[in-house]
Amino acid sequence: MPDAFTGYYLDGRSAVRREASVRLAGSALEITLADGARLWWPLRDVRQTQGFYSGEQIRLERGAPFPEILLITEPAFLRALRATAPGFGRRFHNPGWRRPRMVFTIGAALAAVAVGAVLYVWAIPAVAGLIAARVPVSWEEKLGSAAVEQLTASRRRCVDPESDEAIAAIVKRLLEPQPNVPYAFRVIVVDEKRVVNAYAVPGGQVVLLRPLVERSRTPEELAGVLAHELQHVLRRHATRLVLQHASTGLLLVAVSGDMTGAMAYGIESARMLGSLRYSRDIESEADTEGLRMLLAADVDPKGMIGFFESMQAEERVAPDMFRYMASHPLAAERVQALTRLAAAHKKEFRPLLPGRDWKSLRRVCAS
Amino acid sequence: MVAPPPSATSAPAGLTGQTRRLTFHGSGGTLFGIYVVNILLTIATFGFYRFWGRTKIRRFMLSQTSFEGDRFAYHGTGKELLLGFVKAVLFVGLPITAMNAAARFSHDLKIIITGQILTYVLIFTFIPLAMVGARRYRLSRTSWRGIRFSFRGRAWAFARMFLLSSLLGILTLSLYYPFFQARQQAFMVSNSYFGRRPFRFDGRGRDLFGAYIVALLLMLPTLGIYSFWFNARMKRYFWAHTHFETARFRSTMTGGALLLQTLVNTILMIVSLGLAWPWVLIRRTRFEFACLTVEGPLDLAGIVQEPQLATATGDALSSLLGADVGFV
Repeated sequence: MPDAFTGYYLDGRSAVRREASVRLAGSALEITLADGARLWWPLRDVRQTQGFYSGEQIRLERGAPFPEILLITEPAFLRALRATAPGFGRRFHNPGWRRPRMVFTIGAALAAVAVGAVLYVWAIPAVAGLIAARVPVSWEEKLGSAAVEQLTASRRRCVDPESDEAIAAIVKRLLEPQPNVPYAFRVIVVDEKRVVNAYAVPGGQVVLLRPLVERSRTPEELAGVLAHELQHVLRRHATRLVLQHASTGLLLVAVSGDMTGAMAYGIESARMLGSLRYSRDIESEADTEGLRMLLAADVDPKGMIGFFESMQAEERVAPDMFRYMASHPLAAERVQALTRLAAAHKKEFRPLLPGRDWKSLRRVCAS
Repeated sequence: MVAPPPSATSAPAGLTGQTRRLTFHGSGGTLFGIYVVNILLTIATFGFYRFWGRTKIRRFMLSQTSFEGDRFAYHGTGKELLLGFVKAVLFVGLPITAMNAAARFSHDLKIIITGQILTYVLIFTFIPLAMVGARRYRLSRTSWRGIRFSFRGRAWAFARMFLLSSLLGILTLSLYYPFFQARQQAFMVSNSYFGRRPFRFDGRGRDLFGAYIVALLLMLPTLGIYSFWFNARMKRYFWAHTHFETARFRSTMTGGALLLQTLVNTILMIVSLGLAWPWVLIRRTRFEFACLTVEGPLDLAGIVQEPQLATATGDALSSLLGADVGFV
């Protein structure tokens, strides 16, 4: 193995690079410059700052804060240095470690994916659930009132004493078998032309859009929708979603480091897909728990299933891959899951609002 | 990849007036390795490792960049970034957040609105200070051939110019924009030094004014896509008016190339859910370097070390305010 190498020397004061030959002299380097000047670098004062990757020149520095620098391009230098000065091995990069380091890096990549998956699938929802359960109801009520203002700001609220009373009766029937309900529920119907939808805001307010109420063929159908929305409130889904969104944000800050511009888009798209999954999860939960709520109140779940079936008929059939971009599970899947669950609980049902004419009650915005 | 063979002795070769380029040597795979280990350690340390991780990536990017056969070096440390972050949060982030929150909880609409306006004004004032601070820190921690770069502009002078120009921009319905950009570039470039020698900038906003008017007219019909052509034009102009000693810079970036580059990078990031970031960063860096040449004689013998002090607070502040300058 040779003990002399060629390289360049920089004095740390000017930008002129000088040719140098370097000889390994036990515990020191002997550097001879082109003009014949000799330098003696004891290895204990020398540190390596570049040359950790293959193809990168080796850079040795001596002194601070503006060190003298020695640049060597031959990769064999590091191995020769280890051989002649084994006592200083730890000060310099060992090219023999590159392969183990690569294996370690691949391991780290797999571990990072695993840790991310565990955090995302399990830890974040669990922690969000724990915290959400401890958020005071009064906070949720404040938040909810603000949200309702926003949701209903531009639309007329429908008020019809008879219909309101009927809807309140359905809610009462659903809540009766539930032990300790901390919320005072209130259902608001707002005028709207086409969109069939309902929202539950934190704190106990439920907003129904007029077409949804008018589309329900029986009180049982509307009870199905209400049970789903009440479960969103009781299980504090909105609060959980906010917490989960904030946590994935923190997780991504850790991942993204200093991304700017175009790079930030990719990370944001990942986050959106992640949040949508959380959203589908809570929708499924509100479905199953809503159905259980109907059963507990002796309300026939056929109404709920029937309503979702009529929604399914309208759902445009999208290619299967788009299911990961939806905020709700596919209607067909929801109907299937609910039918399976309902079949397992055969029992006697009591009708909702017996002797009342639902066709006139559901016209909430008539006046 | 192997570094191009260095010219024998650079001082005489440097005087011949050839065309020089920045070269990037690193591979996406290596950077991906650094990135992945950073992620893991950042999660394991509840985020604290990110300052060290960021430093590792900057060190890699600079030490894989060469000019005239010699690599650049980055001398910043994770500890400096952490201290800078703590200072930025304590003296800027927390007071502004606290004031904003306090105003929001008030029941008086006047106080709420005043609080909001004050918050925006304060953030807007800190943006130029952060920009200068970040540049000062990055340049002071960068060296080539052992000679440090530095930035010597005064932060408050820049903030005054920045705020005044922003106001003028609003008053003139953005017609002032090219002048603003040119003044900003002039400040950033002509206060940058390599060793004891400054960079020089002699661009003027009025030379870009015509191009800007054309851009404004074409912006709507092209749905904003024309902005790539204007940005490339501006970049070419700025580089053409940047000098170091007797050497001058030249950029050949075209709008089409910039559009294609941005488009491909964005698609790569979205399709990979962000995992392609190391390759995207390197693609972008290679693109910038491929467009840039340094021409004319360059006398390196006269360049002498003259370092300046700098802390990392501005650098941390700029990432805190989302006003990051890029190039990691």
